[in-house]
Amino acid sequence: MTGDVLVRGEGLRKRFGGIAAVDGVDFAVARGDLIGLIGPNGSGKTTLINLLTGHLAPDAGTVVLGRATVAGAPPYVFAGLGVARTFQLTQLFGRMTVLENMLVPGLTRPHSTWPGAAARARAYLDFLNLSHVMHLEAKNLSGGQQKLLELGRALMLEPTLLFLDEPFAGVHPHLRDELIKRIQELHASGRTFVVVDHDMESILRIARRLVVMARGRKIADGPPGDVRGDAAVLAAYAGLQ
Amino acid sequence: MRGLHIYIALAVAVLSLVSARTLNAYWMHVAIIAMFYGILASSWSLLAGYAGLFSLGHMAFASLGGYTSALLVQWYHIPIPLGMAAGVALCTVAGGLIGWVCLRMSGPYLAIFTLGFSEIVRIVLSTEDQVTAGMAGLHTAPLFRAPTDLPYYYTAFGLLLFALAVLILITRSRWGLFLRALREDEQAAAACGVAVARFRILAFAIASGLAALAGGFYAHYIGILTPSLGSLDLMAVVVVMAVIGGMERIPTAVGGAFGIEVLQETLRAYGQWRLVLFGIILLLTMRFARNGLLTPLWRLLTGIGEARRPAPAPRGIGPEGSRP
Repeated sequence: MTGDVLVRGEGLRKRFGGIAAVDGVDFAVARGDLIGLIGPNGSGKTTLINLLTGHLAPDAGTVVLGRATVAGAPPYVFAGLGVARTFQLTQLFGRMTVLENMLVPGLTRPHSTWPGAAARARAYLDFLNLSHVMHLEAKNLSGGQQKLLELGRALMLEPTLLFLDEPFAGVHPHLRDELIKRIQELHASGRTFVVVDHDMESILRIARRLVVMARGRKIADGPPGDVRGDAAVLAAYAGLQ
Repeated sequence: MRGLHIYIALAVAVLSLVSARTLNAYWMHVAIIAMFYGILASSWSLLAGYAGLFSLGHMAFASLGGYTSALLVQWYHIPIPLGMAAGVALCTVAGGLIGWVCLRMSGPYLAIFTLGFSEIVRIVLSTEDQVTAGMAGLHTAPLFRAPTDLPYYYTAFGLLLFALAVLILITRSRWGLFLRALREDEQAAAACGVAVARFRILAFAIASGLAALAGGFYAHYIGILTPSLGSLDLMAVVVVMAVIGGMERIPTAVGGAFGIEVLQETLRAYGQWRLVLFGIILLLTMRFARNGLLTPLWRLLTGIGEARRPAPAPRGIGPEGSRP
């Protein structure tokens, strides 16, 4: 970790029926991190993100955001404290325009105004090369454009920390490169990222720190170079070799 | 010509006011009932069309509003407008409570829950006949003692305008945007910082308050209240009006209310067959024009004049990001 801690999950547990999706995980994100969160299917990555963004309440453990203990608080509290996220399967407001999609988070910000939010939305749409589709309904965008829009919507919260859940899944290589470039630019401008994906090539291109999960537990955490050679990781996640 | 729809709405409003005196007693009654339904269909649209909360308890709130006002006026001899206001206040709070209880419900679960609530209200009003006079009907104090229904017409017109002003103000504000976001994807809306619970409760409270306003007016216009005001039959009529008109826009829902009410009366000679016709229109609407029959027309009207602008802007935002 490189700086002060933005979010810290301690002893997080979440069970679904008889299955421990997250089983006693400690996970901290420091300001300036760009973390790749990887692991086989069903290893608990998305559940961990849900716990750290308020979309699930933990059965045990705490989530500390800055100095506030927020475990069990609704997602809008997390959003208000600067935590944004995207979803594994893109979740846009399909029958609202691209610009309206951007305005929703923009107008939830304290003291926000319509002109101010609209101006910021237009700037982010420019940044994401989506200006030309801003008046289309979001459902009409391509898969890659939808991923970009979801990132833009998250940015409208002016977050300090972004969780991106499988941002590269199903995205054309050209758009994937664009997405990587945007994430790197945003990281360079001071944003902190946790990126979950199965696309190892993309993750290894951007991650400064790699966290590996398997069967609900964190089995490795460190610089990508170290983690890639970890025996437990190689055993649990053959794709790393 | 930009804002053509606003000029047309204003022209219709002025024409309605000016032509009121030319209506005979029968058509004046039809117009008053159409305005009553206009309030109900438009406020239900806020719930179902904007927020995606398919409630079947709307007429129960109209009924509660009517009985509250009628009974308070009867028992305490308070002025009728005060009784109506009490009904609105009670139903706003009760609606908010229902919204809170239903926080985790949507789709068919919410519909069934609100249907259950509606039936409880109806049955209690039927059973407690010592208070409500049950199915025999509760005689209510008239709002006006006048030789014609003209004062009722103007009152209904004013109440409809008030309801539309409230609804349009909400739907054009950031609250309207948040409600639509909730309808589209509640989880994503929450991730965007929308306080889901607060806005669901708010939608229920406002819609229920407006339903009570309509119910209070109806009680003191018709002169007799029965629990059937809160029946599923009337709820279905309101749903049909909003859906056929277009429940995702307030003006189209009102248009649906007027259209169906006028059709109901003009086709009265066909008895129950007219209801079959409404059923067929509803089926065709759901199959071929899911956003309602009036929505394309409304889009056309609102779109005229926009085409010449470099890029259409979303509601409430000018092309350069400024609010017009």
